[in-house]
Amino acid sequence: MAREDPTALERFINGVLPENPVYRQLLGMCPVLAVTSAMKPAMTMAGATAFVLICANLVISLMRKLLKPHLRILVFTLTIATFVTIADKFLAAYVYEMSKQLGPYVPLIIVNCLIISRCEICASKQSVGVAAADAVGMSLGFALALATIATVREILGAGTWFGLHVLPESWPGWGIMVLPPGAFLTLGLLLGIAEWVSRTQARTGLWRTARMLWSWRR
Amino acid sequence: METLTSLILIFIGAALINNFVLHYFVGICPFLGVSRRVDTAFGMGCAVTFVISISALLNWTLTYFVLRPGAPLPVWVWQLAGGDPATQIDLSVLSYIVYIFVIASSVQFVEMYVRKFFPPLYRSFGVYLPLITTNCAILFGSLEVMKHLQDPTKLWGLHEALALAAGGGIGFTIAISLMAGIREELDLADVPAPLKGAGIALIVAGIMAMGFMGFTGVEKGVAGAISTLLR
Amino acid sequence: MDNSEARRGPDSGERLRGTMGDTHPKSGYLRQAWLVILLALVYGGALAGVQSTLSGKIAENKKDETYSVIPSLVSGADEAKTVELVVEGKNGKEARVYKAIGADGSHKGWVVPAGGQGFADRIELLIGLDRSLATLTGLYVLDQKETPALGDRITEATFRDRFRGKPADRPTVMVKSEPEADNEVRALTGATISSESVSAIVNETLANLREPIRQTSQGSAPAAGDSGDTTG
Repeated sequence: MAREDPTALERFINGVLPENPVYRQLLGMCPVLAVTSAMKPAMTMAGATAFVLICANLVISLMRKLLKPHLRILVFTLTIATFVTIADKFLAAYVYEMSKQLGPYVPLIIVNCLIISRCEICASKQSVGVAAADAVGMSLGFALALATIATVREILGAGTWFGLHVLPESWPGWGIMVLPPGAFLTLGLLLGIAEWVSRTQARTGLWRTARMLWSWRR
Repeated sequence: METLTSLILIFIGAALINNFVLHYFVGICPFLGVSRRVDTAFGMGCAVTFVISISALLNWTLTYFVLRPGAPLPVWVWQLAGGDPATQIDLSVLSYIVYIFVIASSVQFVEMYVRKFFPPLYRSFGVYLPLITTNCAILFGSLEVMKHLQDPTKLWGLHEALALAAGGGIGFTIAISLMAGIREELDLADVPAPLKGAGIALIVAGIMAMGFMGFTGVEKGVAGAISTLLR
Repeated sequence: MDNSEARRGPDSGERLRGTMGDTHPKSGYLRQAWLVILLALVYGGALAGVQSTLSGKIAENKKDETYSVIPSLVSGADEAKTVELVVEGKNGKEARVYKAIGADGSHKGWVVPAGGQGFADRIELLIGLDRSLATLTGLYVLDQKETPALGDRITEATFRDRFRGKPADRPTVMVKSEPEADNEVRALTGATISSESVSAIVNETLANLREPIRQTSQGSAPAAGDSGDTTG
């Protein structure tokens, strides 16, 4: 690459919005759709993914000088699978009900493209500090994506947020939001919104985009 | 006949009623990425069905004999090494690692096989063949099989595991081919710019999921129909 | 160098080079794989440690799931005194049932796990029975995946309590109006199939296991304070 590698801080900020794993890179879709029917499972999944991503990045970064090119995918997979097993056992021991609700989606973190791609692109080439910042940034971005989708689905689908009622009891609850079609539709529409915001912002700058959105309230 | 009925129910359950893509949300990445043309989509679906069946077969064998709590082989090896035959050995903590290795190796073998015997198919797959390893649907198939090997009173046999895996793969193929057919038409439609690509594909998937929801509750009727047919 | 990497899956090009069967000297593999082998051992050890520390807690959680419900199904039962039995049902399959014992050691009732096909997916239940296996004392839904806000109301106490006091020797029947006969139970509005599935599961399990449980309990030595056990 002609330009310099991004610094740790740049990577951290990058992971949250500009290169958000779900909205910009379209990685890790499976858990995003599956666990976002309510905020609690979504945040538990975000925490588990963050744990695996950060630990895997740290370990791979520590080992980066020892990795052989054709065996590195094996090493990544082994590391990620180990941390996912640890996370799964911890969830089953300390939050059993939530672990049952998340079901097979916690082990599916192993094949979450986000983690393997961060190991490949960043952790295997950068120092520990940079890799950690990258992992934390991406985890926050992932959690943000999960939170937005889960908020929409839970509020419209059940009238609650984190289990607390935010809409009046008379709200009928759009059942479809809690079911699979609602997941697809919500993510599709939110992706469209994210894409529109990013294009407008690229074209006219962040401040102008915000002003334009504010002027539409009339 | 009860076995055959339950096998058919497991198969239809995995393929249509609880479709892996539209109900369990696994296999979304290739579902969005490879579904532009019907022939590539169908080819990908067949490859996924093949890999999911092979890996379910291997993983069932490993789980049944080695990895589940109360599996026979570890106890046998422990006894050979002179240990106390009454000790409980539970190797299930290694399950996920073993499964992902088996899947990665299966994909490698399929890749070598296709490259040797079907070179044009191999070229048309391009980069997506090795990416089947990270297809959630394959690991999910193995996880479902593992789920049914936990209770010692209700263990699934190899035939049931294969019915689930094949059903899941064929369900994936159906979903991805339908999506490819719709997207081919969508290319000619006037989609708003922000929704082009993944956005509209997900909205279409949502409508398809609604359609497949119509299969809920079909199991009872199918079970009745099969038992009438087979009598 | 392929500059044609798609924006999605940015690492696919490098992965392709890594796993696409480049030729390597076979003897070098073992020397080069030392890291993988070392990691496998280290990770295996770590996992064994995690397993030994946490497996106790996990097994306890699984047990608690069932045991903590027993006092609400059979009144007066002490969950710590519950006895597990394995009974062979009329269909030839083994089933685990729980004998609910009170704090004073007297036999209070039975709790029978049951499962079967609901409307959308499998429903897992716990059925509470009195000591003589004559009436249902309660119902608890362990696991269900019915339609949200419609079928999943089978978990509500208002529905489950409708089964209390119903006879266990005859099948329960779901009705849409007020129940008249003593084995009729009012179904949930808008969730007929889920309600009927629950009653079908209850009927099937009781028909399968009631006699075997009675035979097992009469065959074994009676528990303290159990002398009032009738055969009715």
